[in-house]
Amino acid sequence: MAKILGICNLHDTPSLGQLTKTRPLGALSFLSRYGLMDFTLSNFSNSGIDRIVILTESNTSAVLNHTQQGNVWINNTRTGFLRICVNEKYIDTPKFNTDIANIESHYSIIEDTNPDYIILAPSFFLMSFDFRKMIEFHEENGAEITCLYTKIKHGKKEYLNCDTLEIAKNHVITHSKANVGEEEKQNISLETFIFSRSAFDKIIALSHKVSSLYGFRRMVSYAINHHRIAVHAFEYDGYVVPILSSMDYVNKSFELLSYENRQKLFLDDWPIYTTTHNTPPALYGEHAKVKNSFIANGAIIKGQVENSIISRDVTIEEGAVIKNCLLFTQTYVGKDAHLEYVLTDKNVKVKEVKELSGTKDKILVIKQGDII
Amino acid sequence: MPNKVVAMILAGGKGTRLEALTKKTAKPAVSFAAKYRIIDFPLSNCANSGINTIGVLTQYESTDLDAYVGNGEKWGLNGVHSLLTSLAPRQTEEGANWYKGTADAITQNLDFLDENEPDYVLILSGDHIYKTLYNDMVDLHIDTNADATISVIEVDPKEASRFGIMAVDKEDRIVEFQEKPKQPKSNLASMGVYVFSWKILRKYLVEDAKDPKSEHDFGNNIIPKMLNDGLKLQAYRYKGYWRDVGTLASLHQANMDIASNDEMLNLYESDRETRIYTEDTYSVPQYIGPSGSVTKSVANQGSVILGHVESCVISSDAIIEEDAVCTRCVIMKGARVSQGAKVHNAIIAPYSIIKPKEEINLNSDKIVLIARGGK
Repeated sequence: MAKILGICNLHDTPSLGQLTKTRPLGALSFLSRYGLMDFTLSNFSNSGIDRIVILTESNTSAVLNHTQQGNVWINNTRTGFLRICVNEKYIDTPKFNTDIANIESHYSIIEDTNPDYIILAPSFFLMSFDFRKMIEFHEENGAEITCLYTKIKHGKKEYLNCDTLEIAKNHVITHSKANVGEEEKQNISLETFIFSRSAFDKIIALSHKVSSLYGFRRMVSYAINHHRIAVHAFEYDGYVVPILSSMDYVNKSFELLSYENRQKLFLDDWPIYTTTHNTPPALYGEHAKVKNSFIANGAIIKGQVENSIISRDVTIEEGAVIKNCLLFTQTYVGKDAHLEYVLTDKNVKVKEVKELSGTKDKILVIKQGDII
Repeated sequence: MPNKVVAMILAGGKGTRLEALTKKTAKPAVSFAAKYRIIDFPLSNCANSGINTIGVLTQYESTDLDAYVGNGEKWGLNGVHSLLTSLAPRQTEEGANWYKGTADAITQNLDFLDENEPDYVLILSGDHIYKTLYNDMVDLHIDTNADATISVIEVDPKEASRFGIMAVDKEDRIVEFQEKPKQPKSNLASMGVYVFSWKILRKYLVEDAKDPKSEHDFGNNIIPKMLNDGLKLQAYRYKGYWRDVGTLASLHQANMDIASNDEMLNLYESDRETRIYTEDTYSVPQYIGPSGSVTKSVANQGSVILGHVESCVISSDAIIEEDAVCTRCVIMKGARVSQGAKVHNAIIAPYSIIKPKEEINLNSDKIVLIARGGK
């Protein structure tokens, strides 16, 4: 089997406002117990890719906290590795802090592992995807670069600003541009690439001539549109959950409360691994009323919870009512407080206030650590 | 603890009284409290007490338990100064032997203890549910200059004849040991938790091994012999929650204590001084359906509750289907209670299936075990 290096790319991500101020998007909590990047890391792991690099722009501590048990995604802990790379040099100049500059500053990893292929995947398209199928396609087509894409039907509303691809019959991409919502049916790039080693180096070299501000995604588009390197397209026809905005984040989270949707994202033979925290099982009190909700371990539920996602070590006291909410780790909701359409970030304590509400279209976000 | 304590956990028993639950599993590896296995309790207690060298004596269905013990990572016992190893009976220079009794299990591992040079040896049982730090007990042993210290718990005097009872003097020095006495001289029952000064224990084990009449048991042989010889045996009065979960009824009751969040066995304490560690599963979070209800219960990740659950303990990947009603049940990993079924006072073994509309043990006080698992 070919030697593969998997790169989980936390650069070049959409901003989710308040939620991505203190952490990279990839480290954002999802469905009460995951971090978004768990999907990409588990896809690597389940595909037999045991050498993994996480490229992060900054907020390294959030990434380190989440990946402290690197063994979670690694099969053999001696031959495999999970490394976290941040480009110290450009940490204060975000425009120059690209994924290309980051991997260049850690290029010894590439030299040491000497991979045949490098797979670069972002953290914000959630799916259960077997990279081996894509590698097979890449090899069969003798491709230099293969880009993963999905066909969408509602391009005027969804996947805005993502790259939309024109693909020839021989699977070669002929044009790439941003989706500005002109058409419904589109081929959307999932910003996941397999590079043969030489093509990886070619893209980096090309970036030196084109722009220091361009990352891999922009450079691949450049290579396509300027006919510098042939880029093949491989279709993924499975279920994708794109997290491109805070509304996406909230809506997609709630959509996954539906069993049908959940079965499409979580496959029986494709576990999604995550860091664990030795929390006891969730505890339900005598007057607990819980409906249509995800509850993580360590939660203590004494009040009412409906259509909500409750993370680890959350406490909901008696008489409290939680509807359509996302409560992050260690949120505390005091007695008789009513919360509707509220997202509480980590360590929020609702003690004094008894009514908090946002709306379906605009969820109320309470900042990390706030006591109200 | 400046002195070195090595813990030896007796985990080889067959656990016959747990019936089908231990058909393929050693008792200490049986599931407890939705997410744990019984042996997580003594192992976590050791880890929290700063005891880093531990032997787990396995015998019955040892493979599964040995694999679970692993390198100790689950309890943080894989650090640079830690050693956790399972010690199953094996062939040696002296021949091949099963462990013939609790004391013999230690005797057959004298080499392990010699190599680790303990000052004190802590003997624990792999099937007790309790949260404690052993430091006070070891300190008492040292402060009283005891040769052996035995952890005792006060039991109802009416129940005392079911236990090994320690009669003590004013200073809690043990003066007499009575095994299941008709007329108990105290209500202090031995918990089967001992601290021994290593050199003395070693001498007694070697002598006991040569005695053809001995059953090679701590309670029946080693302790009475030490008492007889006038050694100093100290009682350590344990206060707090402690249960031997050797029967279906006691295993069920201890689980119910978890479901009702018994103050004495609180898994949710904030100081984390006695947190219990275990392996984790990679299941999706637990999901409670639109028409489900859960009260007075604990549930682990991966469980799906679409029906009604009251006073239950629900392990990962267990499914309670719509309109099913479970009361006072311990529902183990991967078990399924199908639509409209009703179950009361039951332990449902891993991967067992309750059929739709089936009614089991309703209105009964007796605990039943349902074991229909394929795995």
